[in-house]
Amino acid sequence: MKFRIYRYNPDTDKAPYMQDVEIKVTSDMMLRDALLEIKKQDESLNFRHSCGEGVCGSDGLNVNGKNKLACTTPITDLKEPVVIRPMPGRPVIRDLVVSMEQFYNQYRAIRPYIIRKDPVPEVEMRQSPEDRDKLDGLYECIMCGCCSTACPSFWWNPDKFLGPHALLQAWRFLADTRDQGRTERLDALEGPYKVFRCHTIMNCVDVCPKNLNPTKAIGHIKALMLKQSI
Amino acid sequence: MSRRASGFRAWVFQRITAVYLGLYFLFLAWYVLFSAPTSYVEWREWVANPVINLSLLFFAFSLLLHAWVGTRDIIIDYIKPLMIRVTMLVFLAIGLMGSGLWTAKYLFLTITSV
Repeated sequence: MKFRIYRYNPDTDKAPYMQDVEIKVTSDMMLRDALLEIKKQDESLNFRHSCGEGVCGSDGLNVNGKNKLACTTPITDLKEPVVIRPMPGRPVIRDLVVSMEQFYNQYRAIRPYIIRKDPVPEVEMRQSPEDRDKLDGLYECIMCGCCSTACPSFWWNPDKFLGPHALLQAWRFLADTRDQGRTERLDALEGPYKVFRCHTIMNCVDVCPKNLNPTKAIGHIKALMLKQSI
Repeated sequence: MSRRASGFRAWVFQRITAVYLGLYFLFLAWYVLFSAPTSYVEWREWVANPVINLSLLFFAFSLLLHAWVGTRDIIIDYIKPLMIRVTMLVFLAIGLMGSGLWTAKYLFLTITSV
């Protein structure tokens, strides 16, 4: 199977280039397995990976123009030559490894933890099954970064726009009945950048390997803002 | 006043004006297709009708407000250097306000001179 892989080592290369590679594959391979095969041939190739089962969210890559997790993408689904690039819009550290710093900064900014005003109970905080159901489609996010790095608004303003991932998580905590920080959360989302750079392009929905829907979550945030303002 | 440019309010204005513009475009299409004026005088009389005149004024106002939010969004997205951004926003604001005043003037003249 033919692959074209983005290569860049800032220590030795003046500019990034595409490397053509051909390896023998079997039909049960995931793309991650193929990359590991390629790494056997050329151990200078760098990419992130860990669990190999779509849980850790380490191996987000741009494959044939679309962000995917290498470990959950069967190679039989891919058209040759398989063009593999790092996730778009992020500074490349080396080969397929990108800096996710701004992505994590945006996550930190939404305060991804439950805010309590009342004293925290000594036992667990109970939720009704209905309230718990409100977190479905939100808590499953594995922070792979496929959505935010596919989002043009995040490409243009990664320092100011929270991006689909952080906004999905912002809604995850706004929707949590145990959270008591609704007002300050909404206040922190005001301004033209944090939420409102989203132009419902929906690349995030298209690429999410967990089939989550950040655009819908952003819609919920806007609706809640409206509800709280009138 | 907040130090930040508006995000939520701009979005709300954009949505509300979009609804009015959408409905009014349908109304205008209906007017042009099914009860189009046969002469300039008739058309002028139609515009001079206070309800039509006021709704046209609101239509123009909505269109300009909608255009302001949308164009401001594009400028915020793509134009990074502060001075260029401010200059573009100022020219946009002047252009839109000028268009608004110009429209208001002729809508008003239509009423007063029939």
